Amino acid sequence: MSSVLPSRLAKLNQLRCSIFQTVYNPTGIRTGAKYLRARLRGPSMVKYYPPVLDFAKVMRQYPDLELVDEDEEQRLQDVEDKKKRGKGAPKKAKTKGEGRRQQRRK
Amino acid sequence: MPPLKIRVTRDIKARHGVLQNEIARRAYLYVARNQALPPQIRHQAQLQLNTFGRYTRPTTVKNRCADSGRGRGILSEFALCRFQFRLRALAGEIPGVKKASW
Repeated sequence: MSSVLPSRLAKLNQLRCSIFQTVYNPTGIRTGAKYLRARLRGPSMVKYYPPVLDFAKVMRQYPDLELVDEDEEQRLQDVEDKKKRGKGAPKKAKTKGEGRRQQRRK
Repeated sequence: MPPLKIRVTRDIKARHGVLQNEIARRAYLYVARNQALPPQIRHQAQLQLNTFGRYTRPTTVKNRCADSGRGRGILSEFALCRFQFRLRALAGEIPGVKKASW
């Protein structure tokens, strides 16, 4: 077997690349092409969870149907009841020094 | 209808974020990883990549159980965790699945 000069082999590779329309990259430099070649994963990612019926959305879409969200009504009722027993949410501070924790510190 | 678990809600948010930002991210990735480009430009692209939010990275997305919100022991094909899968399979709610016995 006769040995072939490396420079000749490189020439051959270059010619091969030009014929078959591939990129001639003898040093194996990273071109980042794999990020462009890879398929987009977003579209299939969004489809993972089965669609869920959003009651609030339906209510907003058809206001003339006059639907009643019973769970939401119950929650609001519970909040009202708690307020009557003095268990409501604390008052929010209007200015910075007004907060409950700030006053306790003094 | 059970309420959506917060972690599932967050995961859905991440999925939509990935979908919306995927092409821009890929373009920046291409520039940042391309060794043929000048280092300054690659560095700029990397800085731009860092400005994307948490819910735009595909690695943030995790398959969770659509029923219980569990993050481990998921059968991705059915989007269910192993226990919910078992319950539904035994109830005959998953087509083509039945308990093996031999």
